[in-house]
Amino acid sequence: MKDLFKPEMIKKSIVVLALLLGVKLLWFVVSLLWLPTVDIDEAKKEANKALYYRVKLTPNNAPAPVQKKVKPVIRASGGSIKDIKLLAIYHASDITVVTIEHKSKTKVLSNGDAINGFILESAGNNYALFSKAEKEYKVMLITNSKVSASHSIVGVKPTKITKKKPVKKALGKVTDVGDHKVIDRALLDHYATNVDDIYKNIGIGEVKKGKDVVGFRINFVRRDSPFAQLGIRRGDIIQSINGQVIDSYSAAFSVYKNIKDMDNMNLVIQRGKDEMELEYEIN
Amino acid sequence: MQMVKKGFIVFALVWMALLVFMPKAEFYYALESKLAAQDIRLNEGSIEEGLFSLTLHDVTVYVKGIALANIKEVQFFTLLFYSSLTVDTLDVDESFQSKVPAQIKETSITHTLFMPTRLMMDANGSFGVVEGNVNMLKKTIHINFIQTQEMDMLKTFLKKDEKGWYYEGSF
Repeated sequence: MKDLFKPEMIKKSIVVLALLLGVKLLWFVVSLLWLPTVDIDEAKKEANKALYYRVKLTPNNAPAPVQKKVKPVIRASGGSIKDIKLLAIYHASDITVVTIEHKSKTKVLSNGDAINGFILESAGNNYALFSKAEKEYKVMLITNSKVSASHSIVGVKPTKITKKKPVKKALGKVTDVGDHKVIDRALLDHYATNVDDIYKNIGIGEVKKGKDVVGFRINFVRRDSPFAQLGIRRGDIIQSINGQVIDSYSAAFSVYKNIKDMDNMNLVIQRGKDEMELEYEIN
Repeated sequence: MQMVKKGFIVFALVWMALLVFMPKAEFYYALESKLAAQDIRLNEGSIEEGLFSLTLHDVTVYVKGIALANIKEVQFFTLLFYSSLTVDTLDVDESFQSKVPAQIKETSITHTLFMPTRLMMDANGSFGVVEGNVNMLKKTIHINFIQTQEMDMLKTFLKKDEKGWYYEGSF
């Protein structure tokens, strides 16, 4: 016990404590300067405004105020097809990828991708087919530097051109019964378990507002697929499915997860400036 | 000799203090923000800080807002010259079970100062038992499947030699 109070021991203890304090201070400075002090979820909660509820105290039959919807801008068009030079084409079983040059920049596009307002529809062995405002444009593959892009572009009628491996057809069909359509459950079950088959028949892309996904747009629909019989078209924006607003991947996925249990489906889409409701019965 | 002894004690003391006082949870929050930038979110039930470790309980992994997997426990342990990451019971969401193995019972990734450019890993789950390493210098991954079970969905990514199935890739 006596040893503890020896000046030498006290000095040693002070040195040890100073060292520990120094390390603690070092970490404190590091976490203060470079590390977040709260969980990302907590930080989001703090950033949120307090919730409030609009309470209707007096009954009246006046129509509810109509909320003005902000219509998402699909794409800014403009530019000429002549600006697009086709450098390479790659065909896979389920996708076609092309390499193009646009304004001295090289880009890789797959079916449904847009460049300069033109959407890539398909490609043959030496050309790619783009569409814009319901017109189709054929851009020929540049095989040597002498061929100018302006000579290689021709307007064409929409025709089936790509040679793709046949997609295994799902059992079941879509029947039009007038005011709504009937989807065979076998068909729905097939697509619910074979996700890859969906993407062979329909292209779905994000609609973004800044960095956030706010919806999903149909980029292409294979003409001979059941998806074409559903009545959806290229350019449609999916707004809701059975009342579930489709404005995020999680919302889309939650619908997909429950699709096998559905007996009917109500699809709200935005086509151009119009909002459309499509009704389906699953049988 | 006395000086060497003193020096060693000071070094060991600073080493221990660095590990014990390390703001482990804050480092985890920093990792979470980096992952969030890639649209990957980790939602943990609780965080437990140990002297040399950080344990996360009931972690749900979200990719683009979709719950991809649930992990019972993730433990990160470090002595700086030896570090390990242990994942206990990872269950993949049933919607993805046709694409990836349904469960990983245990995975451990270790790094030692004796092999600074390599990460050693082993795992066992519904696919069988694997052992592998990551070469951080060459940026390659090699995983050997020692015992194989339900791994049909993985076979398209694997190669086979006389020893059995293996995965080889680079990043």
